[in-house]
Amino acid sequence: MSTIEAVDLHKRFGSIPAVNGVSFKVKEGEIFGFLGPNGAGKTTTIRILTGILKPDSGEARIMGYDVHKDPVKARMLTGVVPEEANPYPDLSAWDNLMLVGYLYGLSKHAAGERAARLLKLLDLYEVRGRKARSLSKGMRQKLLVAMALIGEPKVLFLDEPTSGLDVLSARKIRSLILDLKNNGVTILLTTHNVEEAGELCDRISIINGGQIVETGSPDDLMIKSGLYTYISVKFDRPVDPEDAAQFFKDWEHRVQGSRILLICKESAEPVVRVVEYAKARSLSIIDIHTSPPNLEDVFVKIIGG
Amino acid sequence: MMNTESFSHLWRSTWAICRKDIKLYYAKGPIVVTGVLFPLFLWGAFYIGRGLEPREGLASLITLTIFFTSSSVTPIIAPWETRQRTLEMLLSRPVKVTTILIGDILASTIFGLIFTLPIVLYSIVLGAALSNVLTAIVIITVTVIGFSALGVLFSALPTDTPADVVLLSSAVKLPLVFVSGVLVPLTQLPTWALSIAAASPLTYPTDLLRRLYTGDAFFPESVDIVMLMIFTIMFTVGALKLHEKTLSARLQRR
Ligand SMILES: Nc1ncnc2c1ncn2[C@@H]1O[C@H](COP(=O)(O)OP(=O)(O)O)[C@@H](O)[C@H]1O
Ligand SMILES: [Mg+2]
Repeated sequence: MSTIEAVDLHKRFGSIPAVNGVSFKVKEGEIFGFLGPNGAGKTTTIRILTGILKPDSGEARIMGYDVHKDPVKARMLTGVVPEEANPYPDLSAWDNLMLVGYLYGLSKHAAGERAARLLKLLDLYEVRGRKARSLSKGMRQKLLVAMALIGEPKVLFLDEPTSGLDVLSARKIRSLILDLKNNGVTILLTTHNVEEAGELCDRISIINGGQIVETGSPDDLMIKSGLYTYISVKFDRPVDPEDAAQFFKDWEHRVQGSRILLICKESAEPVVRVVEYAKARSLSIIDIHTSPPNLEDVFVKIIGG
Repeated sequence: MMNTESFSHLWRSTWAICRKDIKLYYAKGPIVVTGVLFPLFLWGAFYIGRGLEPREGLASLITLTIFFTSSSVTPIIAPWETRQRTLEMLLSRPVKVTTILIGDILASTIFGLIFTLPIVLYSIVLGAALSNVLTAIVIITVTVIGFSALGVLFSALPTDTPADVVLLSSAVKLPLVFVSGVLVPLTQLPTWALSIAAASPLTYPTDLLRRLYTGDAFFPESVDIVMLMIFTIMFTVGALKLHEKTLSARLQRR
């Protein structure tokens, strides 16, 4: 059973097909990323998966519960950091957190204990008495994360959790996301930050125009994008250009004195060949490095193409 | 099927919403002042100077107070929280919109009861019998719930602009006052006006309370009771159902 399951979701706003046939499954304990430009349909998908919006068609399930037929059961297992929702500006951080604790059915005692622990974990304990409106953006976002976690969810939705945050708050949230994963929480996060997606996600779906264009691990996506990896090798003495050209004919290459540059789609096989080449000719490798395409190149290529 | 755990979940959610409402919307100076002064002015405008005994106007004063306290704040909560994007924050949690609305009605009921209490005490000063006071409290409670629900009903309009709902609720509420037996006793109304008064939810609690305080009433008691119950249930069920209907339109706004 998949922990999160989206089946052919469609949602239009007037003439805009905001989500246009999105399907995916997220396994237990996985961090799944939704990467896409603004307006791609990430938030709309999350709002459907958390039961806020009804899809025009399609199904959304959380641990087997249909989000729209069994909303309370599904949400009992779910924590959400919505992109467009706010804590009550005129309630204190503490009261906001307790309110959400009660909505999960916690007793005052249990909610209070969890609230204190979460606020300490997120460095908010000192400001717990302050109204949410007086908190900085970073503190407010961390409060929303605490509110998402107070029900001890099995599944966590994070819509642009670090966008627009200061470096420290963003880093705190990212490290918390990884800790949660290690505790078995399944996480779906959206971001338009390519680097963040690459750092956190086990798998990424690139979404554009309401449709998933590509899905895979960050490494898979690089290979699928068809972008090139550059391998640059330096030997201890100059190589014979014709011999080298013959040996590396499978790849596009340049030979220059004691250096060889290979341009290829993946790096493992050519690196092995470089080592063989060096051995056979008693060359020593002084330096070798590969520059894979970065995820941003991949993203631009996939979205652009 | 309702096990005790889900019952405690429902109760904790409802009570948490209710306390949130009281903190954010009711425990506020201007609201309190309006809640006290407005019905007093309205009642004073009609009763003072007519040489009526204070107890003659008691029933009307209570009904007006309930009407203007209980249905004054509930209409703005849903549009305001839609605008503020806190409603979506709430609904991302394991609560139904019904639970939230019942919490809203509960807060409004507490608020309405608190504001009616001084008048009930005043009735004791005027010599109302204890049994009558207890009966009055039951009538008042049912009425407060009904008018609180009426306020919630207005807010089912799927807007994120509180002024829209305030406009709608004033457009309905003021005529309801004027066509009821609150300002002019039913016995003094011309027949054509009576049939309109019969359609106002203010008429029946007023008639019931007038019977208690003056021994004088227009409709048979059973009619008053049945009509009061019908209005209260109709407003409550109507509010919950209508909100469920308009919720997705409301959440779709941006
Ligand atoms: N409530 C709404 N009403 C009208 N249009 C909307 C609404 N929500 C989203 N859209 C439109 O749907 C598209 C997808 O938006 P969204 O899901 O917010 O994208 P993302 O989160 O990827 O930036 C955009 O074109 C946006 O303008
Ligand atoms: Mg978004």
